[in-house]
Amino acid sequence: MPDSRLPERLIYLFGIAGNAGTSPALQQLADEGCEIITPSVPGFDGVSGFVAPFEYLDWLASFWDSIDASAATPCPVVGASIGGMIAADLAAMRPEAVTKLALLAPFGIADASNPGFDLYAVRGPDRLQHLFAKGVPEAFNNRFADRGEEDAPVALYLSEIAAASLTWPLGDRGLARRIHRITCPKLVLWGEQDELLPPGLIERWGGGDVVAGAGHLLEWDTPDEVASKLRTFLKD
Amino acid sequence: MKMLWFHLMPYPALPDDFNKKHRSVWVDIDPALFDRDIMAETYDTYIEQLVYAEECGFDAICVNEHHNNGYGLMPSPNLIASILASRTSKAAITVLGNSVALYNPPVRIAEEMAMLDLMSRGRLIAGFPVGTPMDTCYSYGVNPSHLRPKYYEGIELIKQAWESTEAFAFNGQFNQHRYVNPVPRPYQRPRPPIWIPGGGSVETWDFCAANDYVYGALTYYGYKMVRETIAGFWRQVEAHGKDANPNRLAVTQFIGVADTDAEAHKLYREPAEYFFNRSLHVYPGFTDPPGYVTEASARARYKSQVRQVARSKQASHDLTWQEMLDKGYVVVGSADTVREQLEAAARELNIGNMCAMLQFGNMNDEVTRYNTQMFGEKVAPQLRTMFSEFSHDWWPTGA
Repeated sequence: MPDSRLPERLIYLFGIAGNAGTSPALQQLADEGCEIITPSVPGFDGVSGFVAPFEYLDWLASFWDSIDASAATPCPVVGASIGGMIAADLAAMRPEAVTKLALLAPFGIADASNPGFDLYAVRGPDRLQHLFAKGVPEAFNNRFADRGEEDAPVALYLSEIAAASLTWPLGDRGLARRIHRITCPKLVLWGEQDELLPPGLIERWGGGDVVAGAGHLLEWDTPDEVASKLRTFLKD
Repeated sequence: MKMLWFHLMPYPALPDDFNKKHRSVWVDIDPALFDRDIMAETYDTYIEQLVYAEECGFDAICVNEHHNNGYGLMPSPNLIASILASRTSKAAITVLGNSVALYNPPVRIAEEMAMLDLMSRGRLIAGFPVGTPMDTCYSYGVNPSHLRPKYYEGIELIKQAWESTEAFAFNGQFNQHRYVNPVPRPYQRPRPPIWIPGGGSVETWDFCAANDYVYGALTYYGYKMVRETIAGFWRQVEAHGKDANPNRLAVTQFIGVADTDAEAHKLYREPAEYFFNRSLHVYPGFTDPPGYVTEASARARYKSQVRQVARSKQASHDLTWQEMLDKGYVVVGSADTVREQLEAAARELNIGNMCAMLQFGNMNDEVTRYNTQMFGEKVAPQLRTMFSEFSHDWWPTGA
């Protein structure tokens, strides 16, 4: 008999816009008893003094330090956008840590013939609107507000530095050469209206489901659809 | 004061409606806009203008580096400088510069600049800009977070390569070499003077002051726009306990000289309007990649001048001639008018090296040569006597 319960916990690795809290899709799973663990990652946490790692391997080590500190693995991992790239590498290189892998429009593989929208060729305040198909969620408009008027924009800038340093210039970190190492069950979802990463890339990840009405950060745009697919995948 | 003749090498035939129909002169400019015959002719003309500047008595001739750019046709300034090394004999050859973080390994820059220094018998000034975001992060794809650490490490590697008397190993974050041993080493010993063009970041002021490099406030908007930047540099010089020798500083300025103010306005208005409203039509989205400025600079609300102006200009209107004059973007007039303004600027800001931009926009060869001759004969001699009490420790030994 297949286990029809949600896992006790999962790790959620957020996307290019940083950590704005638990997305509505993941919140549905949390409401059903699954603990959502979102590791805090240097740079994305907006803490002063951040210097972006020079090498991708150092970035992975930074993420993995945060993941290991949570003591959550082995468990399912849901990675969105940049988090999807990191989650895929975690599954590829540390297969014992990931029991199931859900990728939501992951970075890591690029198509030079259709590189998608250049998020960093628009001014900072105009970037967020390109990540969502249904408007920018309120959670992203007030990030780091608790840091105060002076420090909040700096914290946001550091988070943007972290994201840009991981994806510059095309967001390809060679996952195509490592994807064969992912042996755990895998689900790939993609927003049909993803401006950053054209949905056609889903085939490069071995195929998956394209979600209508969703932009790049689909767990925010279409929570019911994404939660439903995650629920099925995680229970299966 | 030293007089330097600075060439941007702009493409002179952008269409009249360029800033209406194209979003940017930089990064993704339409390559179909460039006519190959005009381009070829332009290189010939501009190189001859640089040679002519030496004939007019300029202390130095300057080239610089830009990429994917409609107003700077010198992605490789070293190519132009190598011609100038053989075509001239007295003027310093100022390469402002090579964007160190773009080259792998930077030892290549050490080699090429050493060749230039040898070919010119010690007349090279080695300029090392960080490079604009448009040139570095967008046109060359450098990760903005890596740009400055790569830049600082690259300069250190080049300097060691020039000064070392034997092969050595270098183990940096971005460069690992078991054998650094460039042949040739420079003509000047231990190395050519190093100038650092900057846009106003706190780190660059400190870098120049700490290492005794010349700080080049390279602005397209004239000395008035860089008052704060220059003040910040001099504060850092003082903080490091160094003397306020004006020769530590270089400033660029668009200049137009004629017999009368009225004649100057008539001659130079169109080229200035071409430059500021066509050549400098930069899409603001290409000016602000996260990581290009450090946390300290972001915190200080530092914003590069190009970005500021690009934003304000595109958000509002084309610059008018009167605005260009009032804001000091261009210093235009009779020899007396120009000299008075530049002398006042030099005194106020303590400028020992004036990088005169006497060709700008679509200024034709005849007017450029006239401007160069007028400046060389009627403006430069009086200015050159300024600050003569200071030694110039940053001037090439062969010039």
